[in-house]
Amino acid sequence: MDFDSVFRKYHHRLYLFTLKFIENESDALDIVQNVFLSVWENEKLGVDELKIQSYLFNAIKNSCLNYIKHRKVIRKYEQIAAAELKELEVFQYQSGENSLIEKESLQQLEDAINSLLPIYKEVIILSRYEGLKNKEIAKQLNIPVRTVETRIFRALTLLKEKISPKTFFVLMQLSGTFK
Amino acid sequence: MKEDFNDTENLIVRHFNGECSEVETATLLAWVNESEQNKKEYIALKDLWDSSRKMADYTEIQLAKFYKEQYFRSRKSRMVFIRSAIAVAAVLLLALVINIFVPTTSEKSMDGYQVVTVPLGSRSKVTLADGSEINLNSGSELTYANSFTSQNRSVTLSGEAFFHVKSDAGHPFLVKTKNFDIRVTGTSFNVCAYGEDVLGSTTLAEGKVKLQLNKSNQEFVLKPGEKFMLDGNAQKYSLVNADVEQETAWKNGEFIFKSIRFSDLTKRLERWYDVKLTCSDARLMNYTYTGRFKNQETIWQVLDALRLTSSIDYKRTSFREFNIIYKSNN
Repeated sequence: MDFDSVFRKYHHRLYLFTLKFIENESDALDIVQNVFLSVWENEKLGVDELKIQSYLFNAIKNSCLNYIKHRKVIRKYEQIAAAELKELEVFQYQSGENSLIEKESLQQLEDAINSLLPIYKEVIILSRYEGLKNKEIAKQLNIPVRTVETRIFRALTLLKEKISPKTFFVLMQLSGTFK
Repeated sequence: MKEDFNDTENLIVRHFNGECSEVETATLLAWVNESEQNKKEYIALKDLWDSSRKMADYTEIQLAKFYKEQYFRSRKSRMVFIRSAIAVAAVLLLALVINIFVPTTSEKSMDGYQVVTVPLGSRSKVTLADGSEINLNSGSELTYANSFTSQNRSVTLSGEAFFHVKSDAGHPFLVKTKNFDIRVTGTSFNVCAYGEDVLGSTTLAEGKVKLQLNKSNQEFVLKPGEKFMLDGNAQKYSLVNADVEQETAWKNGEFIFKSIRFSDLTKRLERWYDVKLTCSDARLMNYTYTGRFKNQETIWQVLDALRLTSSIDYKRTSFREFNIIYKSNN
């Protein structure tokens, strides 16, 4: 597999994965770019695909962790809880758990969203596709913010059930081994 | 309890959509850390939330950007390469003018080390980051870490060198050789420690040096004008008063020798002129040699001088190779 193919195959997924932990989109793009640079420089393309994939995702996790640590230092006590939640997440993925993004389940997820009841599908589309805040959704749908929040939570819980129960079982098994 | 759980649900969604206050985020963090079950729940929901996000696909833009950056990087390194190529060419040209056959001193960088190699038949001078100056004699190799600074002064030597160490009592300068290490603060001294030679020596010109044998950890302190000699095989040493001028004349392009053995003489000439001298006659070993050459002489002139003044004759056997013959005085 040549460099371009690897780039095209993984770039978007790596970007989405980075965005899990890093809000700033251009910082996230930089992190992905740097990971590809390390691939380019070290010519890691000789190894088999599975190894490339795990190398890429691991490199992203490490970069994100460094980024969060750095931000924690420069921003001192501001939003320390949010940073800690993100750190906790990266650690969780570092200890072997896979994200749906890593598992290439994005299409499956989209199908699941499309099969949701309209009231749930609607809030997901508005928040996740159109990027609206809960308050904005409430205004648009003319319902209380609390209802929007409850519906989104409900939608996510339904998606969790719809998305391959088998994978989910494995995921639970894996996470059961963590201390 | 039910109400409480609902609060968490809302808190989670609010956090996902970036609408939590700091206090609320802290509450959520506490809830997540409360149990393994909570953590799993949080991670799973967050993953669904993140994965369902529809983001613009920047792949092609980023790929083009990547190649553009690579292009500029390579152009920059190409420019550096061209500039250094010009410098190298200039040095090469100079070297060609000086002597077609004598290779120039090479400086290699490998695995965090700088290696200065002086070929046989030439000499070199190195100035280190701390301001210390080192003259290197023919066939020597000086190695020092890239991390060499005025705080961390350590070099490894195989060959002969004259050190003029910048004074700094707080940070000793360390010279490591095959058989002994030398620790100084600020002095001038000569070290002769060729890897292939059994005998190694140090002569102190000024200041003070501390010397430690690698095998026995035995320590010696040298005074100016003293020469320490060590037989690496037998671990026998001697401390004698030496002629500093004689010991260090090489750095000024002179070759001075007083009462040295024939084998030492040929070895020195071999390095100095990058030639090979062979000799099979044991009788030559009984003589000692004293003399003084300036760098201007060629090996032919040196051998001619020896032929005129001692029982030596020579024959050229091949390119830069001579056989030395004992000539009876009749």
